[in-house]
Amino acid sequence: MKEVFFFFFGLLSAVFALMAVLNRNLVKGGVSLLASFVSLAGVYFTVGAEFIGIVQVIVYGGAIIVLYLFALLTVDLKSMKAEPLRLSFLFAGGVLSGALFLIILYAGFFLEGSLSSNVSGASDLARPLFYRFLLPFEVVSVLLLVATIGAVAVARREE
Amino acid sequence: MSVYPLFILSAFLFSLGFFGVILRRNLISLFFSLELILNSANVLLVGFSKLHGNPFGELFVFFVLAVAAAEAAVGLAIVVSLYRFKKSVNSEDYTFLRW
Repeated sequence: MKEVFFFFFGLLSAVFALMAVLNRNLVKGGVSLLASFVSLAGVYFTVGAEFIGIVQVIVYGGAIIVLYLFALLTVDLKSMKAEPLRLSFLFAGGVLSGALFLIILYAGFFLEGSLSSNVSGASDLARPLFYRFLLPFEVVSVLLLVATIGAVAVARREE
Repeated sequence: MSVYPLFILSAFLFSLGFFGVILRRNLISLFFSLELILNSANVLLVGFSKLHGNPFGELFVFFVLAVAAAEAAVGLAIVVSLYRFKKSVNSEDYTFLRW
């Protein structure tokens, strides 16, 4: 049963990611990316990473994609000229990313073992986070503060 | 369940994001592709964390998420102010830093 849901959500996230990259309409691309991230949260749930799935929906779906869509509001999409499609870039990108895909698949081909089936909820992750990784956690809070102030300072209209 | 399907999904998302970075000329689409690349790393971290039964991989996903949020905020601020300056979000129009 778990495998069925895993393949369903994995296929869904792959298809929506393909739509997000190839769609020329930015708003449609953003919404496809949102669907892809929510399907990835489904993948996390099926492998037992429960808390990561919840955080994925909240942070990626609720915060980051909405931030992108709000930034799209400030851009005049109608007056934007169409993106030129360069066949050489299409060819180079296809060959390079296909080769990369095959290399990564080959690198993981000899992996053995199966996934453990225990579910890691919030309490399983909280203990190492707040004891062993307390310093990185605090550093990340400073990073988020710096990013907030930096975003406001960069995007402010100068008078 | 084997770890290999998760590995294939991660490899697919990574190479798709790479393809998008090469192909697209729109800055916001470039950011979408970058988010895909970050997510492929997250998928692999969760997969190996479950393979070895060690929760530290899943903890690292938190830090990746925080860095992704910071990157999105600062990057979008730069894109918005560049758009105000040049009236375009096409990366080929931003040649004024070229020597």
